Amino acid sequence: MSGKISDEVLKSRRKVLAGGVAMLGAPWVARFANAQAAVDIGPYQAAKVNWRQAEGEKLTVAVIPAGYFDALINEAPTFQALTGVEVRFEKVPPGQIRQKAILDLSSKTGTYATHAADPMYYDLYASNKWCDPIDGMLGDARLTDAAWFRNDDIIPAWRGANTVAGKPYGVPFDGETTVQIYRKDLYAAKGLKPAETLDDLVKNSAAIHDPNNRVWGGAMRGFAGAGQNMYIYPSIFRAFGGDWFKSGQLVLNSPEGVAALEWYVNLLTKYSPPAVRNWNWPDLADAFSQGTLGLYVDSNTSASVLNNPEKSKVIGKIGYARWPRGPSGKRVTSIWNWGFPVNAALSEKAKRATWLFITWATSAETQARTSFRSKGIKRLGINRLPQLRSQEFAAMVKDYGDNYLQATTESMANDADVQWRPRMPQWPAVGETMATAIQAALVGQKKPKEALDEAQGRVAQILKG
Amino acid sequence: MKARNLVLLAIAVLMMLVWTFPVLWGLVTSLKTEKDVLAYPPSVIFEPTLRNYADVFRGSQSIVPNLISSVIVSGLTTLLTMILAIPAAYALSRLDLPFRKGAGFYVLATQMLPPVGLVIPYFLILRRIGWTDTYQGLVLVYLTFALPFAIWLLVSYFEEIPREMEEAALLDRAGRWRALWHVILPQAKGGIAVTVIFVFLNSWNEFLFAVVLGGNNVRPVTVAMFNFISLEQTQWARLAAAAMAGMAPVIILGLMAQKHIVKGLTVGAVKGGGRR
Repeated sequence: MSGKISDEVLKSRRKVLAGGVAMLGAPWVARFANAQAAVDIGPYQAAKVNWRQAEGEKLTVAVIPAGYFDALINEAPTFQALTGVEVRFEKVPPGQIRQKAILDLSSKTGTYATHAADPMYYDLYASNKWCDPIDGMLGDARLTDAAWFRNDDIIPAWRGANTVAGKPYGVPFDGETTVQIYRKDLYAAKGLKPAETLDDLVKNSAAIHDPNNRVWGGAMRGFAGAGQNMYIYPSIFRAFGGDWFKSGQLVLNSPEGVAALEWYVNLLTKYSPPAVRNWNWPDLADAFSQGTLGLYVDSNTSASVLNNPEKSKVIGKIGYARWPRGPSGKRVTSIWNWGFPVNAALSEKAKRATWLFITWATSAETQARTSFRSKGIKRLGINRLPQLRSQEFAAMVKDYGDNYLQATTESMANDADVQWRPRMPQWPAVGETMATAIQAALVGQKKPKEALDEAQGRVAQILKG
Repeated sequence: MKARNLVLLAIAVLMMLVWTFPVLWGLVTSLKTEKDVLAYPPSVIFEPTLRNYADVFRGSQSIVPNLISSVIVSGLTTLLTMILAIPAAYALSRLDLPFRKGAGFYVLATQMLPPVGLVIPYFLILRRIGWTDTYQGLVLVYLTFALPFAIWLLVSYFEEIPREMEEAALLDRAGRWRALWHVILPQAKGGIAVTVIFVFLNSWNEFLFAVVLGGNNVRPVTVAMFNFISLEQTQWARLAAAAMAGMAPVIILGLMAQKHIVKGLTVGAVKGGGRR
């Protein structure tokens, strides 16, 4: 009902505005009307919610500097026209956004209504009650038109990653999955197929490894960090059959853990450029785009960089495949998404405004507008499987390389594992401890077993508090 | 003798290269396209482009507002620091105060605190008084580390100046303030220039407090440069152009004050250096 009232009010406003322009003919009015007309709020008005219920609120949203958030920022005038809520974005470097968010949440200052949240931080947020569970808002017909929002269309694993003890805490806005990215010309020359198992991956790497001609056989992120080497190692660990928790205790130095780390160290030591120990995903993408790598495993969203004609020398030579199976028979990919939680320190009205912003940003309409329907930046990491499988999305990525769409969607649908990384409130410290141990093994300071034993000891201290 | 000079010159050039090479590499990178930046072996001959500078100074990625932010924050910090530090340093170097030694140590001790330990209290205080993401907030925080540093530095310069000169002024019925203004400050020009440069440089290059306590309104260039290291890719050429633009004001300031800095840095090395 309230939605209908809102529609009528808006329609009558537009009529008044158009009539005013016709009568006055003043250039400034015409300019204003054009600016209003450029913002199309029609598709959002199909939702049976009162979009203007928090009119007049002002929100600050922390995001990171990235094209996909720029695409959202470009669309923000639509949200403001739709809701009357003013939203300002603050770009915080990725290394600092977590700390800044924690500072804001823990001090209950309510600076950021919502922020681009790392899914591994929801346990911390939930255990401290810094963010509200969103199931109430999702189920409240005054705030969410379930039939219009279609929450179930959002990639289940991403939703799962943002859920703590059965309660969702953030809605995924943008995400990715990790896949094999290989040079199909080099593979064809050697008669290779994309690896089906981790052993195959090593064999493929060995076959195309030719450092004398500046082609290294295989690489993955080696840089120390929870979002770097500890972003890749967990996929190998789970594919080796590792379980993070045994009888409720975090176990890092299990036989599967040691075997996984030995595999990781072996690949990077034998078939990667020596500098890979300090490489992060942009470095890998740069190296692959220059023809220096024959294969690497990383984010599917790197495709836009690999196919950037300003940089890349390998356009038309790229193929994609899902993660290979490990000894356990499982393929395990990463579950990454930047989601939007609701800051618990906000007033009730500000929470409603924040929720409207979140549903607007993560809705199918905004996802399309910031991706395949965008005239500017076209996001790859949209949050809904039906849209990822749409013809419009397929048309957008058709030149990204062989099997791009299939590898990506199958990976997201089948290979994502909610227990990919150990989910716990102490994750920030545990993740960094693990990352340090992995790098110690990668650079040869310690044997994998020794590094993990040491990490186990440190983590035990962290968990003791 | 000639051979010795040549050896010294060669050593000086080598030492200079350690500093200049990264800067020159950055300058060259800023004039390349992304493709040329990533080329292997690194291309020495390439078609230079100013496109990166155009992107850095215009359009959606412009860092001009951030350069202005940095100038305001660093300029105000330097100005306020010098206004407060000069009399404080003068008092510590000249007056026979009972707590002089203790105060000197306290000033130095504040420099020993790791900045990361102060971020949370500063954030909470500024948030409470509504000064996060404001110039006054960031300048106030910068003063907390700039002021002790400046006092500590200036005291050593003031102590180099012979007391007899000041005593002559006092005998001529000049007050403490006049003696400071007309006798001490002209003698300590070099030291003041060095202090100004260091305070400005430290404020200009500061990142930790700027990223946590700043925001959309106050966003110094050190934070804004991170926009070129996005999650998707590092825009090396634009990052280099932004770095060059970020360095320029400090280099210009350094060149302007070069004469005084050389004097300031050599004070005390030769007897009576303070008077030169």
